Amino acid sequence: MTEAFAAYPDLRHPFEERPIHDAGQTTVLYQGNTITLAETATGDGLLIRPTDLTQINGFELKPEGACFDAMCIPLNDQLLVKRDGQEWFDLTAFAELLEQPYVADVDYRVWSFAEIPGKRSNMLADGLAPDFEVTDRNGNVVCLADLEGKKALIVTWSSW
Amino acid sequence: MPVWQHIYAEINDPNFVLISAAQDTGGEAVAGPIFDATNPTYVQVVDEDHVISSAFNFVNVPSAAWIDEEGRIVRIDESTYATTHQFGEGDAAFVFGNDIYAPALQDWVKNGASSKYVQSADKVTDNIRQFTVDQLRADAAFRLANFFRAHGQVGKVEQYWKLAQSLNPDSVNFIRQDMTLTTEGSGGESFFKLVGEFANRGKEMSRPLDLSS
Repeated sequence: MTEAFAAYPDLRHPFEERPIHDAGQTTVLYQGNTITLAETATGDGLLIRPTDLTQINGFELKPEGACFDAMCIPLNDQLLVKRDGQEWFDLTAFAELLEQPYVADVDYRVWSFAEIPGKRSNMLADGLAPDFEVTDRNGNVVCLADLEGKKALIVTWSSW
Repeated sequence: MPVWQHIYAEINDPNFVLISAAQDTGGEAVAGPIFDATNPTYVQVVDEDHVISSAFNFVNVPSAAWIDEEGRIVRIDESTYATTHQFGEGDAAFVFGNDIYAPALQDWVKNGASSKYVQSADKVTDNIRQFTVDQLRADAAFRLANFFRAHGQVGKVEQYWKLAQSLNPDSVNFIRQDMTLTTEGSGGESFFKLVGEFANRGKEMSRPLDLSS
């Protein structure tokens, strides 16, 4: 091999600096999706409008709680909080309840959430493939459900 | 690597899907031409955020999972080459890969659960890497870095890439990916130092292929 095998220094930081989002907005990253929120509040964590929850992580607010498939997390006053007469959903308290790690850059108002461990439990316990969603080079969204009834090889590689 | 195309063509089974996911923050610019060189007809993904590695908890490339018709994993997380590769010639040649994995794959596609290459449920769950909290947090940090990179926030990129590497030191993906974007590249002195560090820690950079089990 040459010393500079798979070297792409020109690609290290090829992008021009540009605003992350408009002033006052907050960005949430989850599972390859980027969600820009117009309204949030922060304190110890990140408070979002309850109506934004579904577009972030697929959980829906129902009478029995915040639900995704068969998983329902009962709501309490730690999750649904009132501030200045407005109702907020504490996304970080929810993450902590789900043992979902996150990394936040509070200065830039960007919050990156890892996968919810409960969504991986089927794989770890029963060897079922994890749900995933990626976009192929033709712009098609590819997810686990697309593989139903077929055998699949999912293989990673890299230019490096 | 995209050399899977001839194997995919040979299998030629409408009920077999091959998804090849390039784990490349360099994006289409680096992965696209490599894909295109073999005119692939399988599903091609340029996975800048390493979503697939995260989902299956792969720590290096190439890695793979075989998923059956019911969504069950029947092999996972082993060094996955379509063929033998060689860089250089003679004494300087660097050879890696193998010619035994692809026939095993073909056997499974043809024979399904009766293929001798299908692993037991216990073996599969043993081979699935458990997710630690720090590994999951590392994924979040890596994606945050990539997001800042796309917005030209250079200082933030370095901060969060390093955080990802420190939270998941087993991820060769995170470390070598970073090396690619330097003049030294992913196969230079730093890489061989990394190999030594893994050896000193008693860690494998990826699980060796073992088709006997």
